[in-house]
Parts: sequence; C-alpha cells; structure tokens
Amino acid sequence: MFDILEKAVERGQELGAAYVELRGESGFIEYIQMDDLRVNALTQRIEQGVAVRVLADGAWGFVSTGDLGSLDGAVEDAFKMAKAAAPTRREPIVLSNLKAVRDVEKIKVARDPRHVPIEEKIGYMESMTKVIKGYDPRITAVTVKVRSASGKKYLVTSDGTRIQSDVMLVWSYPWVTGKEGDRLSAARHEEASTTRGWEYMEDFATPEFMGEEVARRVNLQLGGVTPKAGTFPCVIGPRVVGTLAHEALGHLAEADLTVNSAFNGKLGEVVASEGVSMIDDGTIPGNVGTTRYDDEGVPASRVKLIKDSVLTGLLTNREYAAKLGLPASGNARAESYLHPPIIRMRSTFFETGDWSHDELFEGIDFGYYCLDMRGGQAQMNASFQVGIQEAYEIVDGEVGKPVTDLSISGIATDSLFKIEGISRDEFAFGAGRCGKGQEAFISDGGPNMRFLAGGITFGGQG
Amino acid sequence: MDENNLLELSGYIVEKGRRLGASDVEVLSRSSSDVDVVIESGEISGVENRLSDGIAIRLYIGKRMGSAFTNIPTTEAADEAIAMALASAKVTTEDPDWVALPEPREYPSIEGLWNDDIAKCEPAKAVEIAGEFMKRATEAEEGLIAAYGGSGVSLYHTAFASSSGISHSERGNVAYAYLGAIAQIEQGVTPMVMAFDIKRHMDLDLEAAVDDIAGLLRVCKNTVEGKSGEHTVVMHPWAYGQILSYTLFQAVRGDNVARGKSKLEGRIGETIAPDNVTIVDDGTIPTGINTSFADDEGVPRRRTPIIEEGVLESFLWDTYWGNKTGEESTGNARRSMRQGLVEIGRTNTVVEPGKRGIRDIVSEIDHGYLIRNVQGAHSSNPESGDFSVVGNPAVLIEDGEMVGAVHGLMVSGNAFDLLGKCVEVAKDPIALQGLIGPEIIFEGVNVIARG
Repeated sequence: MFDILEKAVERGQELGAAYVELRGESGFIEYIQMDDLRVNALTQRIEQGVAVRVLADGAWGFVSTGDLGSLDGAVEDAFKMAKAAAPTRREPIVLSNLKAVRDVEKIKVARDPRHVPIEEKIGYMESMTKVIKGYDPRITAVTVKVRSASGKKYLVTSDGTRIQSDVMLVWSYPWVTGKEGDRLSAARHEEASTTRGWEYMEDFATPEFMGEEVARRVNLQLGGVTPKAGTFPCVIGPRVVGTLAHEALGHLAEADLTVNSAFNGKLGEVVASEGVSMIDDGTIPGNVGTTRYDDEGVPASRVKLIKDSVLTGLLTNREYAAKLGLPASGNARAESYLHPPIIRMRSTFFETGDWSHDELFEGIDFGYYCLDMRGGQAQMNASFQVGIQEAYEIVDGEVGKPVTDLSISGIATDSLFKIEGISRDEFAFGAGRCGKGQEAFISDGGPNMRFLAGGITFGGQG
Repeated sequence: MDENNLLELSGYIVEKGRRLGASDVEVLSRSSSDVDVVIESGEISGVENRLSDGIAIRLYIGKRMGSAFTNIPTTEAADEAIAMALASAKVTTEDPDWVALPEPREYPSIEGLWNDDIAKCEPAKAVEIAGEFMKRATEAEEGLIAAYGGSGVSLYHTAFASSSGISHSERGNVAYAYLGAIAQIEQGVTPMVMAFDIKRHMDLDLEAAVDDIAGLLRVCKNTVEGKSGEHTVVMHPWAYGQILSYTLFQAVRGDNVARGKSKLEGRIGETIAPDNVTIVDDGTIPTGINTSFADDEGVPRRRTPIIEEGVLESFLWDTYWGNKTGEESTGNARRSMRQGLVEIGRTNTVVEPGKRGIRDIVSEIDHGYLIRNVQGAHSSNPESGDFSVVGNPAVLIEDGEMVGAVHGLMVSGNAFDLLGKCVEVAKDPIALQGLIGPEIIFEGVNVIARG
C-alpha cells in the first residue's frame, strides 16, 4: 500500500500542490443485528479505499475512491478542485509545521474479531437476549447489534510522514423495549473498545453485564414517576457528566466551531465555577478515541480545556493551529477514507474535586440525580441538550423514586458557573459515538457533580 | 459505473450465487458521485468529491440468510463477497418466518429524476453557486456570518437483480445549496439559522433561501425571555419533522408494530389526530428527494396514506414483515449497504397543506413560540413517544409579531398527544430532504423557559 500512496503523493508534488496527503485503508468489517433472536443482518466485508487531500493555492481538494488503480487521477482531480475553490479565498489556508513521523502502530489483541467464528458471535447475542428477557417478563422486544473491525490504515504525506496503524473495533449495543398495559418504555446500552479484541466481550462487555445494564433501566422506567419541568438543584453522575463535558463545552472547544461560537475569544477568561477543570486527552491507554497519532500524523496529546475555571486550550488540527497560533493537538480524525479529517474529541472529562458523595446530596429538598443518558446535542450559541434514561428524584437529601424519560438542557456559558460541588471519587469512562457529520468513537466521563438550581433545565412533562 | 454495468454485475452475482448453492439471491448495486463545496467560517475551504461503488448481496440457503458487501465492482470481488455471504448463511440460525423474495411488478411512471445539467456540473460551477449564496446572504443582513454550508451535486446509479426475476436499474441526481448563519450579539452568538434549497435541476432558488435566512437571523439578533407554561407553538417542518421522525414515524413502521414496539398497534381506522392532519408517505413525487421507481428490494414505490384527516390509515411495510403479518409491502424497504440491514424506511413524507398563510396565522397569536429547529430529538423515546427537546432557534411571538430569540427554551410532551393539539396547518409547503410540509400550529404545548 505504501508504495502506491507514495507514488500518488509524488504526482501531487509534480502538479505543484503545497501539501498532499493520502490515507489508505484495508480491512475486515462485520455487522450483525439480532431482533428477538432472529438474525436480521449478518454482513461481512473486506473494504479498501483511499482518501486524497491536496492543498493548492490555499484551498483544499478532496477525493475519496475505492479504486486503488487510479490514484494519480484522483490526485489530479483533487488538485483541480482545490484550484477551483482557491480564487474565492480572502486568506489562503496554511498548515502548522509538523515534524515528519515514520512509525508503525500495532494493536495486540488476544482474539482478533476477524477470526472469531460467526457461531460464537451469534451465541454471544443469543445469550444477551436471554439474559434480558429473563430479567423482567414485561420486556417485549430485544435488539442486539454487534460491530467489529480489524484492519490497517496508512498515512503518507508530502511532509515526509509515513505511518501504518492497526485498526480495531468491537462494539456491543442492546436496545430493549418493555410494556405494561398501555405504557411502553425503552433503554439502550453501549460499550466499545478500539484497543482490545473479542476478549473484551468475554471479560467486560459480557452478555450478563450488557443485558443486566439495559434491562434494569427498562424496569426502572416502567415503574418511574413523571418528571417535573423547570430548574432544580441536581447531581449529575459520571455517564451524564461525560456527555455534558462532550456536548456543553467539548464541541465549543473544537477550534473550527469555537470561532463561530459563544466561546470565541474567551481563551484566558474564567468560563466556569471555581475548581472546575476539564480535559480532552488522546493518550489514555485503553480508552476509546486513543491513538498514537491523529489522521494528519500529529502525535496525540492531552489538552487542558479548562484549568481551575479558566479556558486554557482548544482542540485543533494543523489548519486551525496555524490560523489561531496554537499547537496542533492531534484531534484531526476521519471516520474512514470516505471523509477528510476534521477536529474531533477523544476522551473528554471533568477532573475530580473534593466533595464527598454524601455532601453532594446534602441540603437538596427536591432535585434530580441523573445517572445515564440517551444521546445529546450542542449548538453554537452554547445551548446543549442531553436525553436521560436513568434518573431519580432527590427528596430531603436522599435518592428517591426513579423517573421516566426526560432530558436536561442549559446554556453552557451559564451552566458551567452553576457547578456547586465536584466529587472526589474516581470515575469510569463511558464509550460512545459522536456525529459531527462523521461518526467518531469517543469516550467521556467525570465525577458526580452538583449543580445549583438555574444551571440545568429539566424538560419534564409535569 | 453506470446502471447498465451495475445491472450486468448484479445479474452475474445472482446466477453465480444460485450455482454455488443459494436457494434465493438478491443484489442491490449502487454507484455514486458527490461533489460538495465546503463553506467554513465565511470562506470556501475546498471542494470534495466522493466516488463510491457498493454491491450488497443478500442470499438464502433454505431459510438461513447471509449477506455481504464489497466496494469493488469487479467479478473477482463479487466472487469473494458471494463466498462470504454463503459462509454466513451456512452458520446462522434458521428464520422460520422467512417466506420468499418479492416477485417482479410494474414500476410507476416518474419523470425528471435525471437531469443532464446536473450531471455535467463542474466543480467550478458548484463553487460559483456557493460563493453567490454566501455573498447574497452576507449582503442581505448586517453581521451575518456564514458559519458553515456548501453546495454541490449528487449523482447515483442503482441496479437490482434477484433470483425471483427482478431486473431493474435506474439513475437520478440532485443539486443543492445550504447555509448555516449566525451573528455576534452581546450574549455571544445568535442561534444558528439554516436554510437550503435542493432540486432535481440546477435552477436553485437562492433568493428565497437568502430571504429566509436573513429574515429570521434579523429577529434572532434580539434576545428575549421565554415564559414557562402551556402555549401556542408554531413548528417549522424542520422541528416537527425531527420529533416525529423519532416517535410517530417509528410507530408506523410495520416491524415495530409486529414486534410490540408501537403505541399504534391495533389502531388502524381509529382517529388519532384532528381532521386537519393528513400525512402521506409518497415515494413517487417527481420533485421528492427520496423518490425512486423501486425500493431497496426492487418493489415499486407508491403513495401510502399514513394519517388521512386524522384517521390512522396504514403502516409502512417491507417484504419480510409484510409476509409475516399478511400485509403487502408498501415499497418502503431501505437497505444499509455496508451493514446489510434491510429496514422499513420512509420515502418522502408529505403533510397536506391548510388554507392560511403563515404570516396571517402568526399575526393572530398573542403569545406563542416559533420553533424553527430542535436539539435532541434523537433522545426521544420512540416506544412511548415522550420527547423533551430544546427549540433552537426558538422565537417568541407576541401580539402577532416575532420579537426575538429565546435561548434554551425547552418543549416537551408526547408525540402522540402532540398530534391531538394541532389546531391548524399553514398553506405553503416547505420542501426539506424527505419531508414536504408547511408549518403546523399546536396549542397547549408544554414550554419550559430557563431560570
């Protein structure tokens, strides 16, 4: 693969491009979906393709193709596209300097999912379905999805970078429906690893663990009370805090979005309550989102987005690093060869504080404890929303009844100042996917955090 | 590859699959080329071209199903994919409910899915459209920042062949331009206002899109406070389209009905909305973006009323779930090429227009909200229909005037109850991707303001 990519890079250089980047991929990808024990999809594929990105006269040209035999043509097309766009630009795009890297990144797994028999994967899904069905007779429908990938990707640039990396994914996702009378409810759970093989499904995301996590939530929702609408003091648990980190601030700290957001120009300013610190880290071993290099060949790094309440960093790619005079943080990621790399998060989290667990709940006459989420979304005016699928009332400082579906929202520029207390307890990261036009596997987390009334709005029904 | 080459390859796979032991084989092949000009932070950052081929195979050995995908449109790659699909079918579980692949049927007559001007559009022309769109919008409203957007064309060629005798190919293309704009304000930035035009010819109506985006952004520059309570809410199709997409439209999927996942199970013929609500799934409208002759199983597209004057008329079906429940496929099979999953999907959702223009309707609202778009519809509960979203942009209407944007305004409720609160449908349909409908006015909707 390297040889054909390098030859195509040379063709771009001959044309006069300022920068030429080729990303090749080849690998095995599998998707299985089981609905109520029926295998609804079982697709294996070997996919290969190349992404060509050319910077010429200060504009980008991008071509993706599965035809590895015509890469010179793809480079020429990308060059022409950049040339077509360039005359419209007021300022040419330039890239930050980068020391060329030559490396091979290996991922060692005990059981490559490519070689795990299909029967065993189907057995895993059948076991999970049985665990879920056996948890509560009110469970009426169970869908289990499993994805896996095993392959290689290659990066060759005109700056001299040449990186070969292993690609690995195992992903498990049950979606469960429960019914009692006219009342229907649903919950889902998601776990993934990009550094381990099928053994992850045997020692962590087991059928028993996945099944009980999701079935328990359906059970809680069927017996839950209707949430109130309005703003209340609340304690937000690690899986939701992680989503807040990702949605409420993380996206606004992606430099391509920051420039058009409510956080524009706020570097160095206080943006959160005292004691709040938040990080995006591409270097945590084993976490989803961790890789040695990003898809531009920039080494992964740890970015302190908020340090002691002050906005101290942004997530960049080489283009925005040059534009804003910041370091390239290694956040350029592409879903596949079908897309150019854009700025994405890796592991995004709030740091621990000094409150005990009990202190977080003390003095709350009425509020909510939000423990698990079902998706979230951010907007440039700092508005965020997170769907909640596991929550409880807090009454007189005690955790009370479970609550059915609700969502929470806020304006990050206000809400971050309403953080009243942060737990000192360690937390586990959650794995998830982000959809900023392309899918990216990410992780997030944080300790339990208490918000004052006015920080979070509850979109309840009552 | 064009559709004729794809059909030839698809036919080869059907024949080879049968020869190697499959009892039934179907192949969907698709080749696409997308040119997309990218606008980022008020400038065109570049042009992207995605060339993609995909061959999706689904085959059966008796009642055991296997599927495979390849992005390499050659007989050698097809042979490998057939072998993978056969290997899967040999080890998977038997599905006693599987009956048969669909039989050949006559396709509807639809004009205008392919346009030569779109097919010949060069990247430079797409750059010109994006530049013009951005320039006009920036000139139309002071302080307007074209935060992101683009323009481009999308061309696709499709072929379908099966061992039940279907052999069909078609092609289509669209041109589009879109823009997301903001403006700096004292509190930070306005909500993002989006507008776009998408057509099956090159005459995009940039003027209407610019008027739309500039007019709403002008209102959004003023920040106002909302008021919690039950209020009149005007929903743009962007907003109700998203909410219904994750709730009502999930509940009318035949597979969800059959699996006990739908609140509408057993309610065909019942009144579930006021008589001003008519919603149709129509895969045959010439201007529809999701229009085609055949669905992803080769079944003819059709017009299927879902709600007619408030009465639940039909669910949507594909072949498998139709066979299982004794219903006929409504031509709504949608195949995720790479995953091999065949699901029931909507085509073009058409909301029947009402009689009055939106300006006249808004002019009579003393206190209410226009919800142009929402955040978080995907976190709704598709089974219960409960939703809880942020309106963004959400605009306060007072004394018949749109007075300013409310930041962080939540709207919550149950989608099935929301239908009952529809008091009027405006008269001018707005064509979005997969949804054609005017604004809908709901009364007594739960609105939650911050603070």
